[in-house]
Amino acid sequence: MYGSDTIVAAATPPGSGALAILRVSGPEALTLAQRVFGFSKSPEPRRATLARYRDVQGETVDELVYVFYEEGKSFTGESMLELMPHGSPLIVQLLLEDMVARGCRLADPGEFTRRAFLQGKLDLTQAESIVEVINARSRAALSAAQRQLSGEVGRKVDVFVSRLLGVSAHLEAYIDFPEEDLPPEDQAGPAQDLAALTEEMQQLEATSHYKQLLQEGVRTVILGEPNAGKSSLLNRLLGEDRAIVSDLPGTTRDYLEASLMVGPFLLRVIDTAGIHETADAIEKQGVDRALQQVNRADLLLLVLDATHPVPALPEPVQQALREKPALVLYNKTDLAENPAGRFELDGIPQLQVSAKTGAGVSDLLFHVEHLLRDRVVIPQEDSVLVSARHATALARARGCIVEAREKLQRDEPTELVASDLRDAIDAMGEIVGRIDNEAMLDTLFAKFCIGK
Amino acid sequence: MAQEFDVIVCGAGHAGCEAALAAARMGSRVLMLTGNLDTIAAMSCNPAIGGLAKGHMVREIDALGGEMAINTDVTAIQFRLLNASKGLAVQAPRAQCDKKAYQFRMKHTLERQPNLTLFQAMVTGLIFKGGRVVGVQTQLGVDFKGKTVIVTTGTFLKALMHIGEKKSEGGRMGDFSANTLSGSFLEAGIELERLKTGTPCRLLGSSIDFEGLEEQPGDPEPTLFAFYDTRNDVPMFHVEQGVKIPTPAAEKLLFDAGMPGQTKQGWYPGWEQVSCFVTYTGEATEQIVRDNLHRSAMYSGEISGVGPRYCPSIEDKFVRFADKDRHRLFLEPEGRHTDEWYINGLSTSLPFDVQVEMLHSIQGLENAVMLRPAYAVEYDFAPPTQLFASLESKKVEGLFFAGQINGTSGYEEAAAQGLIAGVNAALKVRGEESIIVRRHEGYIGVLIDDLVTKGTNEPYRMFTSRAEHRLLFNHSSSELRLLHHAEHCGLLPDDRLARVQKKKQDVDFWKDRLEKQTTSGGAYADLIRKNREVKLPDAFTSLRDETRAEILYRIRYGGYLEREARLVAKLDQAERIKIPRDYDYDAVSGLRAESAQKLKAIRPANLGQASRISGVNPTDITILMIALGKRAG
Repeated sequence: MYGSDTIVAAATPPGSGALAILRVSGPEALTLAQRVFGFSKSPEPRRATLARYRDVQGETVDELVYVFYEEGKSFTGESMLELMPHGSPLIVQLLLEDMVARGCRLADPGEFTRRAFLQGKLDLTQAESIVEVINARSRAALSAAQRQLSGEVGRKVDVFVSRLLGVSAHLEAYIDFPEEDLPPEDQAGPAQDLAALTEEMQQLEATSHYKQLLQEGVRTVILGEPNAGKSSLLNRLLGEDRAIVSDLPGTTRDYLEASLMVGPFLLRVIDTAGIHETADAIEKQGVDRALQQVNRADLLLLVLDATHPVPALPEPVQQALREKPALVLYNKTDLAENPAGRFELDGIPQLQVSAKTGAGVSDLLFHVEHLLRDRVVIPQEDSVLVSARHATALARARGCIVEAREKLQRDEPTELVASDLRDAIDAMGEIVGRIDNEAMLDTLFAKFCIGK
Repeated sequence: MAQEFDVIVCGAGHAGCEAALAAARMGSRVLMLTGNLDTIAAMSCNPAIGGLAKGHMVREIDALGGEMAINTDVTAIQFRLLNASKGLAVQAPRAQCDKKAYQFRMKHTLERQPNLTLFQAMVTGLIFKGGRVVGVQTQLGVDFKGKTVIVTTGTFLKALMHIGEKKSEGGRMGDFSANTLSGSFLEAGIELERLKTGTPCRLLGSSIDFEGLEEQPGDPEPTLFAFYDTRNDVPMFHVEQGVKIPTPAAEKLLFDAGMPGQTKQGWYPGWEQVSCFVTYTGEATEQIVRDNLHRSAMYSGEISGVGPRYCPSIEDKFVRFADKDRHRLFLEPEGRHTDEWYINGLSTSLPFDVQVEMLHSIQGLENAVMLRPAYAVEYDFAPPTQLFASLESKKVEGLFFAGQINGTSGYEEAAAQGLIAGVNAALKVRGEESIIVRRHEGYIGVLIDDLVTKGTNEPYRMFTSRAEHRLLFNHSSSELRLLHHAEHCGLLPDDRLARVQKKKQDVDFWKDRLEKQTTSGGAYADLIRKNREVKLPDAFTSLRDETRAEILYRIRYGGYLEREARLVAKLDQAERIKIPRDYDYDAVSGLRAESAQKLKAIRPANLGQASRISGVNPTDITILMIALGKRAG
């Protein structure tokens, strides 16, 4: 907690510029630099160097610039490594995850400045303002955490905690109350409970929302009537001929996906088949899938043909448009100065674009970025960190539980198993807030009739 | 008695006895006041000492030079090691004591203690002067002057006993209630709250039908509480001293016949121990309880105090665990010279007639004669968050609190606090720094830190699970863990201290040696961990049993103990950042108002303690740390 370990954090908001900055501070910074960039001697201090960053598996994550600072001559006063990768949230996330996999810990809010202060690198007046920074950051992080935990993930985490407490209470009862009239002690039950728990925790880790958002990006679905120019628009956005573009309606029978950076946000753009009534069996499948995509979308772009009257949209689509962040785009403004009809839906921005000439595209990107900022479909700087922290804590808890279960199976003393479970509970406490031993005791006394 | 005492101890229960002895042995002039000299060290509830976490604490008390361990060893009539099949850290000794012998030996120890004055008088009030306590008033109209006062009044403050709808004043059946002392505390700004506890009925042994009940004998090889048997060096009073050891056969005969007034001997190697017996509630018991629930003081709302979760009344057991068709009960003898038996597990606040009916529905107790009824007692306690970790009041200088007045339960918890309060009062008189046992050093540390940092809303009982570093707390390592405190307070005689120091050296030396030294097949330590047959060096096998056991424990559990040690080292950084007692939390910019409020109430001694206060979050700690760093700079 106070400088004995090596910490890592992104110093820039994800993807806000061409470059991002990650800082690593602590005793392991030098070793990490050597391992990551594959050299044996010390890097030249305070010199920007271009190198390939290879992760634990040896895969190149990015070609980036790094600077190494020796102990005593860095911002924190500890050995430090600064990484300047390309400004993609995905790359930043992969780098953070790799550093954690190599033994770093995600920094607490304000921890770099705190270390700097404790190493005597900041003077007293600076310390005053640090307190404000730490306060602001941790509050933002806390509210981000609360937002995240109010949803499905939070409910699952609560269930994990209570099941974990249940197993812990079970083992503790047999340790602390050997004279009580408890049912015969059984190791198989707790071992099974722990096995089920680890499996479910792993599932949650794998599907955790922040990973989806960062690795897949914001699910942005382009939808509209056939031949409204959806694929052309996607191509325009991507600047490449990715989708098959033709004048025949219904060309995009399935759907296509592509990644796109808009401001700081990574978008996973999905081009759907047109949404319309069709007799063609294959095309019908495409329409159905498009509807599924609409339902899973984080952002909807409804593309309408400015030269045609507005078509009637199926009710599920209209409902999705009302509920999710959405934009209405009148395409083909190169052919029609004013749209032939208006799609009336309150609160949805209406824009005119031409996929063919590119007119209105920058306006579109501007609106997308602001819509995303306003509607909080993706995590802000702090909540990314919070989510990453949650996932780290979850993984750590799971590691302890696996260890506990193995000990149970090897029939090792239960106080050792209990010790692993205590660590797991502490790790979960990093997500839901410190879990006092009283919680376990409450479970214990509710579960077993203790009291001679 | 116009003289001024260094330490005045109010109350002669388990906390008071340790407090008075510790302070007197450290050279303080001590006055011990008790409302009744005949109830010194009374076991108001069951006649047993030890068990999980509690037994550990008794060994810690012994390691620091307290009296409870040896007093138990000398007067116990049955010894058992609990959790013998589990790992060393969670094994604990437990003993049934001869209740009266325990009291007499403790009383005689107090009487023989130099620097200690015993006097029978009930304390009715405290005398304050300028924010300090300077003495006490008694019901005799006599005042006593003291530099420090230790309050160990147990359950006696505004004590109200309940048997069903019947209420009477008193902290224990047959005793009084201290009704005015609470006023003194309130006057000094010390807050009081109510708690509730209870004790089951007592039975006449000759009326119990033991036939068919499961017998629970003592261990063939008793596990003693005291690290060194000092009985031969220092002859101690003992009820059976000088009495000829009866033959086991003769003893068995007496016992089987259910003779009243058994004459069994206190335990000595080779002597026969007494047995406990197990029975269960009968089919009719539950119905009797349910039919009369409305008459239970607890269920009818007569009692407002909070009772403990871990010691539910029989009403509670049937209501809350309705799927359980019977509940286990233990019959424990209260001594060799009495035929009174304690029935463990049958606490109740049901009225007397229901108690009798209930009793007779239990196997073996069909014709049992009740000697004393079960009752609940409600009393004032002073929430312990009002104390520093030295157990001194934050409000009144020189005033210490120990035992049930602090919201704890149990003789061992009380004794542990009494010992620490006594030591710290004596150190205060000398102008020296207090002793604070840390959370990783022993259960005593966990107990006091929990009390003063988190407080309690039920009678606090120690469990091993409360200790996050439990694996370090095998009972036999107590004297090693607490050695530096023992050296500081000086309660151990020099020769014993030297033996502990030698043991510590041996343990450190041999742990290291066996890790490094190899034999055929590898290092000794590796072979031990792999459970291989290995002939250990002669010099090792000639060490004392306890020393060898400790070395082997440290080798077998090496990985875990090292992990704990790393954790402790990490936490220690925060513990070392001290916070001045008068620290102005309001002046810390950025600290949340509610956190400042909590910090002001607890006034933690260091950053580590601050971080354990509920509702104080890591950000607050970071801010505090910076603010403290600024101050130091």
